[in-house]
Amino acid sequence: MKEDIKVLLVDDEKLVLRSMEKSLWRAGFGVESAGNAADALTLFAETMGGAAPFDIAILDLNMPNFEGQVDPNAGLKLLSRLLAMQPGFPVIVLTAFDEVERAKEAVRHGARAYFVKGRETDLIALVDSIVNAA
Amino acid sequence: MEKSTLAERRAALLHAGAQVSRNITSILDADVLLARTVDIICETFGFYYAGVFLLDETGEWAVLRAGRGEAGAAMLSEGHKLKVGGLSMIGAATGRNKAMIALDVGDEPVRFKNPHLPLTRSEMALPLAVGGKVIGALTVQSVEEAAFSEDDITALQAMADQLAVAIHNAHLYTENSRLLMQATRHARLLMAAAEVSKGVTSILDLDELLHRTVDIICDTYGFYYAGVFLLDATGTWAILRAGRGEAGAAMVAAGHKLQVGGLSMIGAAIAERQAHIALDVGEEAVFFRNPYLPLTRSEMALPLVVGDKVIGAVTVQSVEAAAFSAEDISSLQAMADQLAIALDNAYLLRELEAAHAELVRTKTFEAIATATTEAIHWIGNKALPITVSVQRLREDLSALSGVAPERVDSMREDLALIESSARLIIRVKEQLIGPAREYRPAPAMIEDVLKDTVRMMDIPAAMIDYAITPDVPLGIVDTTQLGRAFRYVLQNALEATENVAVPHLHVEIAPTAEGGIRYVATRLSNNGPSIPEADMPKIWASFYTTKDAEHPGLGLPACVQIIKQIDGQLTARNLPEGGVVFELLVPAFVERETESTVSLPAGKRFLLVDDDDVWSRFVERALVEAHNTVSRRGDGEIDYAAFDAIIVDGVLGQVDSTVVLNDIARAGAAEKTLVVASSVRVERTLDWMRFGVRDVLIKPYTRAALVATLG
Repeated sequence: MKEDIKVLLVDDEKLVLRSMEKSLWRAGFGVESAGNAADALTLFAETMGGAAPFDIAILDLNMPNFEGQVDPNAGLKLLSRLLAMQPGFPVIVLTAFDEVERAKEAVRHGARAYFVKGRETDLIALVDSIVNAA
Repeated sequence: MEKSTLAERRAALLHAGAQVSRNITSILDADVLLARTVDIICETFGFYYAGVFLLDETGEWAVLRAGRGEAGAAMLSEGHKLKVGGLSMIGAATGRNKAMIALDVGDEPVRFKNPHLPLTRSEMALPLAVGGKVIGALTVQSVEEAAFSEDDITALQAMADQLAVAIHNAHLYTENSRLLMQATRHARLLMAAAEVSKGVTSILDLDELLHRTVDIICDTYGFYYAGVFLLDATGTWAILRAGRGEAGAAMVAAGHKLQVGGLSMIGAAIAERQAHIALDVGEEAVFFRNPYLPLTRSEMALPLVVGDKVIGAVTVQSVEAAAFSAEDISSLQAMADQLAIALDNAYLLRELEAAHAELVRTKTFEAIATATTEAIHWIGNKALPITVSVQRLREDLSALSGVAPERVDSMREDLALIESSARLIIRVKEQLIGPAREYRPAPAMIEDVLKDTVRMMDIPAAMIDYAITPDVPLGIVDTTQLGRAFRYVLQNALEATENVAVPHLHVEIAPTAEGGIRYVATRLSNNGPSIPEADMPKIWASFYTTKDAEHPGLGLPACVQIIKQIDGQLTARNLPEGGVVFELLVPAFVERETESTVSLPAGKRFLLVDDDDVWSRFVERALVEAHNTVSRRGDGEIDYAAFDAIIVDGVLGQVDSTVVLNDIARAGAAEKTLVVASSVRVERTLDWMRFGVRDVLIKPYTRAALVATLG
């Protein structure tokens, strides 16, 4: 059941965040969201080891970091922290069009996939494929 | 002759001799001295004619330098001269250094019969000698037979000796005066050179320096005209940058330029790095006949040299023929050398200023570009959720009940409008952001970049043909950006040929040069309709399109931006037979690699997965020459584990590279696999990386780049 799959969605772009939330909900996923790295880490830590831990995270790269400063690598830093806490945890990294080196960097940091914003139908399929493969 | 008469004549002769001597010794101008001498002799002695001959520089001819009356004037105008040692009495007197007398000219065999002096009956030729050296001769002639006595000879020879000394003194005086004038002029020229140097070396503004220089030269030396030419960037033309007066201003305004090594004196002076002088411009082959300077009779062109570099030349012109001496050349060249240093300093300052201005421009551009990029991102990101929201609304609409169908249709139409606008905004964002990405120019095979783009666009092979010049040089480009530019141009061509029965694209790739710069030209022509000539300039403008609202009109402006960033050129023109050709020029890579600078691995086994194309042949050759084994992927079973490294071209003609990568991953060989592509995009890169390959990289097109790629 998709409702049993819980997605951590992190982006400081409120409209994008809300749109993705709706798309994931409509696709049947459970979603909790955060607007920065610090809040996301808190959410993740609170649920980790509990009855309903996150199954996958979708992170923006450019957002406020743990110190509250807008940081183009905040998503990568959060990714590292999540993987340190739960090795092998599946993460999809979001960013804008055509940033090849950053995409490669994210994959090298342990991201399962990298997703260009605005193509949410493909995102649903991607989340499905990663969760089902796990 | 009676004693008293004889005594009187002797006294008169002595008196006359003394008078002649007194008169001539005070005259220092040689021409005046000789003219006065012949008059005094005739007036004092009552002779019919007197004339003075002086030896020429060769010593072989006695040339008449002064002659009494009309006869003398006529002979002077004829350039009358007599051979030293010849049959004439003057010839004999100068040849033998001995007075010659003919008391009856009819009996004298050596006398030259002179039609200008028909009445002569007696003639005497007296040598003019100083210190035993003959310098000429004096002739005196009488209408009387036997007119000269021994006393006359003695008296006249004494006078002739005085005359010789006076002539010698006059010559010395003239020579001394000439030397003095020369020294004075030389000193003045050196002072002028110093003045020019002082004037120009303190000026650092290039334009002011050039204009002040021509004024200072003309004012100081009194020349008719001076001008300064500087070499253009190509080094093939000398451009007039400053000229004296109205003529100079007119020539500068007309863009007056002369070819280096051409027929002009400036062109020759620059090419040969040495001064050129035309003392009579009519006789100088390399003189450039200039309608702005009709009075020029002498011209000097001086190269402007700093170290081993020629930066231009100075022309100075005079209205006088033979206006320049050897001293002038050395003085003016010294001035030109100082000017060259001053110009070089001004150049350096200008370069510094230009570098500073460029820095300010770059920083300003960076600030604007950053702000623009952020603004484009911001707007684009805001539009991103719209298309997804529209999709959700459309799904919800289908589930609605109790709404009139026409209302539903209207809502669907509105949603389509909203979605179309949002997609357009996203497309504009991507087309604007693309060219603004960071550039990493490197040598690349233009043919390979183009063919990869064609494959990625799935353009059928039958629709396109190629004419590629063998050994075309590499271009210096960012291959991802060039691939993007090719994509825009190819897309444009595909759209242009949509309604053509048999659409066809033709590509030429060839080396070319413009303005001394070498390029690689890619000419992409299509057989679609021509572009109206009036529209041709507009196609490069942002947001100009003749297509529907789905086309933002940014493809070609983005191409221009991409090509300009690599110092290339992009043009378009209609073909006479119909259709349009776009020409992309990118700078050629002209350096040659030396083997010592690159060190490829040796003794390795490589598997190369690629079509048999120009790039794979280059890689195979380089690796084999470095003593590696290179295998190509064929159709049969492959033992991937047998290779030390696998190189996969991400864009293959016959097979999808992900199929090959899947095989490699299943064989456990992904970690030693490199995927390369002429241009990389996020989706494709991640598609390849998810097979666990070592890396995805831009294709190397030189041995040095191949070394870096192989790590």
